[in-house]
Amino acid sequence: MADQHEHETHHVNYFAIFIALCVFTALSVLFDMMQSKFGKQILASLVLGVAACKATFVMLYFMHLKFEGGWKYVILAPTTVLAMAIPFALAPDIGYHYYSVQVPQTMIAGESAEADGHGDGAHDAGHGDAGKGHGAHGHDDHGHDTKKANPAPAPAPAPAERPQASAE
Amino acid sequence: MTHATHVSTAPPYKMGLAIPNGKLGMWLFLGTEIMFFTAFIGSYIVLRIGSPGWPTDPEVTHIRVTAGAINTFVLILSSYFVVLAHESMARRQYKKATTWVTLTLALAVVFLGIKSYEYYGKFDHGILPGKVPETHQQALEQLVTKLEAASGVLALEDQRTELENRRAETTGDTAAIDAQLQQVNEEIEKRRPLRQEYMPLAERVSANREESPATVGTTIALYHEAEKQLHALEEKHPTVFAGVHMPHPIPYGNLFASTYFLMTGFHAIHVIVGMLMFAIIMMKGYTGVLGANDAVLVENAGLYWHFVDLVWIFLFPLIYIL
Repeated sequence: MADQHEHETHHVNYFAIFIALCVFTALSVLFDMMQSKFGKQILASLVLGVAACKATFVMLYFMHLKFEGGWKYVILAPTTVLAMAIPFALAPDIGYHYYSVQVPQTMIAGESAEADGHGDGAHDAGHGDAGKGHGAHGHDDHGHDTKKANPAPAPAPAPAERPQASAE
Repeated sequence: MTHATHVSTAPPYKMGLAIPNGKLGMWLFLGTEIMFFTAFIGSYIVLRIGSPGWPTDPEVTHIRVTAGAINTFVLILSSYFVVLAHESMARRQYKKATTWVTLTLALAVVFLGIKSYEYYGKFDHGILPGKVPETHQQALEQLVTKLEAASGVLALEDQRTELENRRAETTGDTAAIDAQLQQVNEEIEKRRPLRQEYMPLAERVSANREESPATVGTTIALYHEAEKQLHALEEKHPTVFAGVHMPHPIPYGNLFASTYFLMTGFHAIHVIVGMLMFAIIMMKGYTGVLGANDAVLVENAGLYWHFVDLVWIFLFPLIYIL
């Protein structure tokens, strides 16, 4: 009963919200038409900023989140955090290729997997491991051991092959 | 008995939140939906960042900003109508509420209409996961496949094999099958010279399959040569080869198609589910049973619909503009 009453008390001008959303949509189309004036990066931040504004309007007024109790945070905050997990987990490998410049989508015939940047990554990782060994133990021999042992699981290219692989 | 009546007169002991259970359920569901869509949208953003040269040219992707903008407007307007329906329910104006819900449903149909027109464009241009050539060699191989399909010799030969098998299995009269076989054979003989015209090219494409960084130049030269040969074929046999277009290599074209159909496809499924909810409300409205008890139903349908709108608000710039 009290709930129903509450709904009628907050008067939102929904039509104004609707017009604002239309203006925002027109704005993103306008940015798209002017994209030669500014770069891709600025265009991305502009249109995604507009989208965020539109989303805020829809959530606050159309979905009444502005007038809801504290439970909205309990439901939405963990969801938002969990939703971010996949993009953040994928970004280092897929988005930024932290181990090589580019991951070829198709393997070109006649080229082995080892000679193709993959080996490069393994080699670099080997170096990193060796470095860790250094830090943890402060023992020179141990560091050398890991360096030698590392190429075994993922066959790293011989030093002579490396320039060839990076020349592509 | 007397004890029970005594309890009922006491003020109700309130458990849980001050919102209807149905609404709480809807919000929890929307929480899972947020995770569902951010998984796709987030992966798409990450994939795009990691794929330099992602196709963005509208001539290549057949994505039209106008279509996306119109659909954005359609969804925003429908969201507004749902709000009005919810307002009417609160004012107990059930007829009005039914009208707004009907209009929302109509807009959802418009949205899907525009969307399916866009999908048709993608299908028509072969922008489908696994169908887009990404290198010149793949484009050449697709060209050969298209030429084979246009000449139709291979399909006719399959038909012949099938007929021969059927004749071998038939114990009775084979006259009808024989007649068909003869017809197919004649057609094959008629079309075989067509096939001869592009077979040298097809063989060179097939021989070039052993591609390596050293032969990339050869492949591109072969590609340009094939383009000229195709033009010559089109001029010589316009009725047969006019429909064959030179496939252009689109780097990341398959990834683009996969992500595009995944995101817009799941969004479209959500639109259809929303339409079912509105259809239920509409039926209740037109049969006159829509009442105060349905306020939560309309509110939930509205919340769900606003979420569908929300997803599109992000898909529009991410797919159509950037």
